[in-house]
Amino acid sequence: MSNYKIAWRNLWRNKRRTLITVASVFFAIFFALIMRSLQLGTYDHMFRNAIESYTGYLQIQHEDFWDNKIVDNTFSYTPELDQAIMSLENVTGTVPRFESFALASSGALTKGVLVMGVDPEKESLLSDIRGKLVKYKLNDNNIEALKNSEIPQETKKNLEIFRGNSYSSNSSLAIDFNIPDKDSSSILEIFRKYASFRNGYIKSGEPGVLIGDKLALYLKAGIGDTIVLLGQGYHGTTAAGKYRINGIVKLPAPDLDNKIVYLPYDVCQELYDAPGMLTSLAISIRENGDKKINSMIPEIRSKLDPQLKVMGWQEMNKLMINQMDADSKSGMIMIFILYLVIAFGVFGTVLMMTAERRREFGVLVAIGMQKSKLATVVTLEMILMGILGIASGIIAALPVIFYGYSHPIRFHGEMAKMYEDYGMEAIMPFLLPDMYILWQAIVVAIIVLIALVYPLRKITKMQVVDSLKA
Amino acid sequence: MIWKTAWKNVWRNRIRSLVVIASVTVGIFAGIFAVAFMNGMIAQRFDAAIDEEISHIQITGKDYVLNNDPQIMMSREDNIIPSIGSLSGISGIVQRTLVTGMAGTASKNAGVQIVGIAPEKEKEIFTLHKTIIPGTGDYFERESKFDLALIGQDLAKELNIIRFVIDSAVLIKLENQKVPAEILTKLSVISGKRFPNEKKFTSVVTSLLSKSELREYGQLIKKEAWSFRENSRMTLTFLDMDNNQVSSVFRIAGVYDIKNAMFEQVQVFVRNDVLCRLAGIDENSFHQLVIRINDLNQTVAITDEIRSGWPGLDVRNWKELQPDLAMMTDYVHQIYGLFMGIILAALAFGIINTMLMVVLERTRELGMLTAIGMNKRRVFSMIMLESVFLSLIGGVVGMIFGWLSVLLSAKNGINFAQYAEGMEAFGYSAHIFPEITFSFFILITILIIITGIASSVYPALKALRLDPAEAIRTE
Repeated sequence: MSNYKIAWRNLWRNKRRTLITVASVFFAIFFALIMRSLQLGTYDHMFRNAIESYTGYLQIQHEDFWDNKIVDNTFSYTPELDQAIMSLENVTGTVPRFESFALASSGALTKGVLVMGVDPEKESLLSDIRGKLVKYKLNDNNIEALKNSEIPQETKKNLEIFRGNSYSSNSSLAIDFNIPDKDSSSILEIFRKYASFRNGYIKSGEPGVLIGDKLALYLKAGIGDTIVLLGQGYHGTTAAGKYRINGIVKLPAPDLDNKIVYLPYDVCQELYDAPGMLTSLAISIRENGDKKINSMIPEIRSKLDPQLKVMGWQEMNKLMINQMDADSKSGMIMIFILYLVIAFGVFGTVLMMTAERRREFGVLVAIGMQKSKLATVVTLEMILMGILGIASGIIAALPVIFYGYSHPIRFHGEMAKMYEDYGMEAIMPFLLPDMYILWQAIVVAIIVLIALVYPLRKITKMQVVDSLKA
Repeated sequence: MIWKTAWKNVWRNRIRSLVVIASVTVGIFAGIFAVAFMNGMIAQRFDAAIDEEISHIQITGKDYVLNNDPQIMMSREDNIIPSIGSLSGISGIVQRTLVTGMAGTASKNAGVQIVGIAPEKEKEIFTLHKTIIPGTGDYFERESKFDLALIGQDLAKELNIIRFVIDSAVLIKLENQKVPAEILTKLSVISGKRFPNEKKFTSVVTSLLSKSELREYGQLIKKEAWSFRENSRMTLTFLDMDNNQVSSVFRIAGVYDIKNAMFEQVQVFVRNDVLCRLAGIDENSFHQLVIRINDLNQTVAITDEIRSGWPGLDVRNWKELQPDLAMMTDYVHQIYGLFMGIILAALAFGIINTMLMVVLERTRELGMLTAIGMNKRRVFSMIMLESVFLSLIGGVVGMIFGWLSVLLSAKNGINFAQYAEGMEAFGYSAHIFPEITFSFFILITILIIITGIASSVYPALKALRLDPAEAIRTE
């Protein structure tokens, strides 16, 4: 009989004990996978948000701009530069930007704002500003109208929580109000009727701006109002200009939402007295894996003036990576504690098994089984048990992870409001299986191998006569 | 009697019992330490928020926060301060003037909130005066013929008021702190060069040193290279009460460091009389009252009392000012409980396995006991007690170790300097002092007993189902 067969049969001699040990490994693997997937998925989502709404995957900048974001650290945007970048493989477009700080005033109210000069058309390659224009607004009048409308009682209850909120898409409205998919078309129709918001967009060469929803609230400014921007221009000149508010955008990150002002970049260059200059040129790419990006950086650099530099998203989002790293470590400690406890459980089982079968081992050796063969069988038993635990844990976790990936956890109502106040989106997606699954399996394998040391030592040191008497 | 038997049973197979006890010990120890760590982090955030940033209650004129209208002010002539200050439970009250503006140096600008304060009175409410970085000045103590402003460390870095320099003096200091000579040689390449900001300095040092050298000495090098330009100036620009733009030059009184980047970047403090003079504000008027109370549990009661007494004002307490803080203090105990619950669930597998083993091993003995008339309840409680003893011994030892580890680590704290930037951006200090309350130990003890009982149910039921006649005959 093969070693495998003996080991397999041995496992089922004491069914309960095997099952409980397998269950403990299952519990650890399942729990660790779900937790890790949720944690990593949330980071992934946050990074994507930051990249796709702000930094982009790659940017070209003046070498001093990132450390010292002043208008003097700009570079001139020439057709040659554009062509050189566009000719590279994997590049789908270039997105010019002129970014600066200014004071924005409307009436008696003033606030420091982030001025983003963008190309109204090209920008959509990177951040979908048009898609972030406010569609619905829950101001006092609209809420009154909605309360008297035929929307369900449940939805009405949430109106108070979200008084004053704006929504740029049907889906975000549906999440906050917990509108089920099947009713969404009819309910959204009512929202469209009573709470629609008429919005405009910006156009190259025309002095109009889009401002963040929270900023609009702060400045008490609406569409058609004028804001005054005041800042420091190129080489110390004073930058001042008057602009009409063409539209209002709702950005997912509140700290951007309350200070963002978009205007066409050519208008922005005029404001800062820096014609033809840019603070950064973002590059939109087709394939966005880390490896690909890292290989593109030197390639792009070779095409640039020495005073320009290329930055990848990791470098531009260092702070966020640092935060995620700290948070990720805390999650790993939790999982470590869990595995530590499971390791003791596994060791306990091994100990009992060894004690219980001392006599059996003695008999086997006495009738001529080689100790090495016995050790192999015991090792196989342990490995099989580990594999059972790992496999069942992964198999049980996978459907949950896949479901969580396509249907991220969403918070509704009050909880959603709290998350938004916090500066986070009320959504927790899972991350699809990745290296982290392999890690869990490796850790369990190590635990099993360590636990093996005890019975193997017992077998090699076994005195057959003593064991027979046990 | 049953208790004694159960206790003796625990020690019949010493090694097996010790393994289970050890697993409970490790689990409880690790759990307590992790909870103490989180708890310390949250408690520090809470204290920092109350003592340095917002205090307990803030009062502003009706709709001031909503409208951001600088004209909405309160007046001393209404006697608000003495009458609110005399309410019971209030330990301090102070007025502030608030102006939104822009801070600028020769090369950089940043949006700021300028807060006009009476420095002596502020000390009764806030501990900000204790956070001034040595060497950067003081909390409006010195006489100066210039207007002074107190700024945060992050704003100072932003405005290039704090710079980074490696010079011979810094190299000597590093040498004295046992930094290897080869690192010093590498650093001497940039000796004498001034870096206007932290990012630039970090990137140059990173390119010079290897990863392991950075991990070991990076923070130390950064700390020593940190340099403050004395007598630095900055310009504050804002609109006065008549909507005219005002620009005025301030000297830096000092730089405070409170481990909260969001606060440090925007809050600039100046003397109230100076701000009133520049902004054209009548000195009897102010925007905000900040109140400190004696007992945290009185927060809501006192808030309500002020609200009903002065309905024309906006009153907000710390829970309303920082909902995340309130949420954390409200829910944090459930999270700790859940965390310990998961650990105990993992432990339960080991306990169940052992108890099952116990029952199978003693089939004959249990059959005998039943046969000679031991009733089912006693058999059940004997096994249950053994399981509870197993988990409780481990639990108590774990709790002792956990408590000792918290005591030891709380002395000097645990410093995660490499995560400081990320954590401070959220307002958390990276230097953590674990702490734990006594009530948490009671909660854990209860949870352990429940785990012990729950893990014994299945094995004990198995024991009850034994047929005495058959059990006696098993070997």
